Amino acid sequence: MEAANNILKGIRVLAFTTGYAGPYAGRLLANYGAEVIKIESKKGGLDTFRHYGQHKDIDEAPRFIECNLGVRSLAINLKHPTGAKLIRELAGKADAVLQNFRPRVLDKLGLGDDDLRKVNPKLVIVKLPGFGTEGPKSSYGTWGFNLTAFSGITYLWNHPEQDRPIGSQGVYPDHLGFVLGPTMLMAALLNSRRTGKGVTIDLAQIEGTAAVLGTTYLETSVNGDDPKPKGNHYALAAPHGVYRCQGEDRWCVISVRTEEEWKNFCRVIGRAELLSDPRFATLQARVQHRAELDAIVREWTEARPSEEIMNKCQSAGVPGSMVQTGADLLQDPQLRHRDFFSPFKESLIGPFEISRAGFKFKGMEEEPLKLPARFGADNEQILTELLGYDKATIEKWQQEEVLT
Amino acid sequence: MSITTEKFSLLSGYRVLDLSSSMGSFCGKVLRDLGMDVIKIEPPEGDAGRLEPPFAKGHAHREGSLRFNYLNGGKKSVTLDITKESGRKIFLDLVGKSDIVLETFEPGHLAANSLGYDELLRKKNNLILISLTGFGQDGPYAKYKAPDIIGNAMGSLLYISGDPKMTPCNPPETQAYYYASLFACYATMLALWQREQRGIGAWIDASVQASMALHEHVAFNYAAEKRVMKRAGSQHQHNAPANLFQCKNGWIALFVTQTHWPLLLKVWDNHDADLDDPKWINSNTRRKEADYINAQVTSFTMRYTKEDLAELMQKHGIPGLPVNSPSDFMKDPHIQARGFFSNVTHPVLGTFAAPGGFFTMDGKRNAPAPAPLTGQHNQEILCGELGVDPRDLPALTAERII
Repeated sequence: MEAANNILKGIRVLAFTTGYAGPYAGRLLANYGAEVIKIESKKGGLDTFRHYGQHKDIDEAPRFIECNLGVRSLAINLKHPTGAKLIRELAGKADAVLQNFRPRVLDKLGLGDDDLRKVNPKLVIVKLPGFGTEGPKSSYGTWGFNLTAFSGITYLWNHPEQDRPIGSQGVYPDHLGFVLGPTMLMAALLNSRRTGKGVTIDLAQIEGTAAVLGTTYLETSVNGDDPKPKGNHYALAAPHGVYRCQGEDRWCVISVRTEEEWKNFCRVIGRAELLSDPRFATLQARVQHRAELDAIVREWTEARPSEEIMNKCQSAGVPGSMVQTGADLLQDPQLRHRDFFSPFKESLIGPFEISRAGFKFKGMEEEPLKLPARFGADNEQILTELLGYDKATIEKWQQEEVLT
Repeated sequence: MSITTEKFSLLSGYRVLDLSSSMGSFCGKVLRDLGMDVIKIEPPEGDAGRLEPPFAKGHAHREGSLRFNYLNGGKKSVTLDITKESGRKIFLDLVGKSDIVLETFEPGHLAANSLGYDELLRKKNNLILISLTGFGQDGPYAKYKAPDIIGNAMGSLLYISGDPKMTPCNPPETQAYYYASLFACYATMLALWQREQRGIGAWIDASVQASMALHEHVAFNYAAEKRVMKRAGSQHQHNAPANLFQCKNGWIALFVTQTHWPLLLKVWDNHDADLDDPKWINSNTRRKEADYINAQVTSFTMRYTKEDLAELMQKHGIPGLPVNSPSDFMKDPHIQARGFFSNVTHPVLGTFAAPGGFFTMDGKRNAPAPAPLTGQHNQEILCGELGVDPRDLPALTAERII
């Protein structure tokens, strides 16, 4: 059986990435077999995630390890003219460049699109800048957290009765960027194989984020509405929402959409008399009497563990589930069945398990994922095998702080 | 500014048959944005997604759903009952002229209708089948029902979202469906690459739950550090000030790291002398005392409007952006200058601004396109391509095949 981990074997990507979205985009290419060479420097060009946490060694940052699995490491000082020259030479041996630096940082170092394409016309370049490379705010510093706020998602991610925005602690735009990044890179590679010419893809993270709020923008542009937070309300289901369960901060979800699901739900909670209650006779009536219905549902859920609720509902064909915690994910029988976690028996941070991806290929194996290379570990091999430099030259560059 | 909006195609020549419910519509949309020819195959009465709110005012009918219009812009529409024998035959003929089939039925549904992957392969030997479901094609939860909110709940984004004093809060629209759709798109690119190299197709088994289970280091925090993440509003887990802060006319999202802290003190006139203590430079120290730091920062942010403060922060290299409403976002000069929105004309809804492509290629952005009317392309595709006699269309309609 072929392994899915080898699909991209033979593709070489130069990655100028830092933080979450850019590195993870590279990881998703590397995990399927691409050779991703991550370029960093201790001269002001280290990935910021190397500093997240309490460790001393820059290779021991848990966040960095998580986002850079399977990636090779090349330490080159891009601010040194020789360093920049080596990157131009490497561009001749690569298929694609992936970068999420601020706009024009690489251009100023003689590593702009034209500089690299002069060496390799087929080179695909994918950029993941927060606000894009063009426009009045393109120089703005953006993090996933404040891009979420800028798009309108933070404002809408709230219960209607709140008097202030709440949002979420997460960085959703990074998640969108790290899947869109490799998707666009592969699309551009498929394209360049046909045309013989590389293209530059500018993937502004704010626009990738806005793409998941398109319906809401149409409410504004078509209807002139100003959409408000809906919380867990959904117009086509009742009961629908998040309900408290037995245990400390434990919750479940129940969403009843069709008449059949309603019948089954009443049966599951032992309240068949509700079926003849005029307040709940149709979906429209149930939505209208949502508050009364929620009280009935809560009475049932608060006395039970969420797992029992899920299994009882689902066996009766009613959409219901636990609200899982991080600990629950690791024990989830479905994720285990899918071999979703790749285990690492040992690493610089001890043993751990890590999520693979949202999909599998039927009939293909999945090999264990690999750790990231230590900082600069691949210098000699890359410079010797790809560019043909000898040991003495490489040592000289080390002393001159080109390779650091 | 040099971004132009026009029609271009990165991946022309690939055809997708989109059988999906709104769970997978976003996947089909992105494939269309990449330039593929995407044909939505709907049941004769129209896709259920056509009846999902919100609707255009005065158009609460199957051509008026704004959600459907956004998720299906630029696709074609063919109505076909693939569960009836003659409909199934027409569908298989179409498969022979396609590269990708996208479906979101319950596992086993296609096979039960003699349309399983093996049968499809007989019509097209390098076909890529994308099967997107709540939990995957097999396993203990494979048959479990999964509306979007269950995807978020089972993937644990829901558990860490919202105000700790309130019920966990689901994000707007259907983010679990969208996010899983994006993973399915990436899998499709891998499958296409493999097809170019080895000439074979692939069956992609995509799961909404698994896509969401990657979020926010939730699983990894537990696996590596035995830490269970909890709801914390917008307070970041490792950093402060990294939260929403009140201004004169609304709120701002600030994210201040070790690098930014000294910059913030520099623009912050009359700040408390205690904040100059070097101990505060360390992000972990500030995070431990987040309540104190956040209260101090609020006294500063309340002096400004959210727009002025964002501009001031950015001028001094500190990442800050206003908490926008959707219409604030649409009106923002940067978004306008980049031409992210442009006009699209729909035969029933008229002309309105819609998001174009979410990427540019060599400075070009794809223009948005209207969603198809129900069965709009029946004649073009069934008669024009498959050689169905136009005189047979009324009978096929009467039998509820199309």
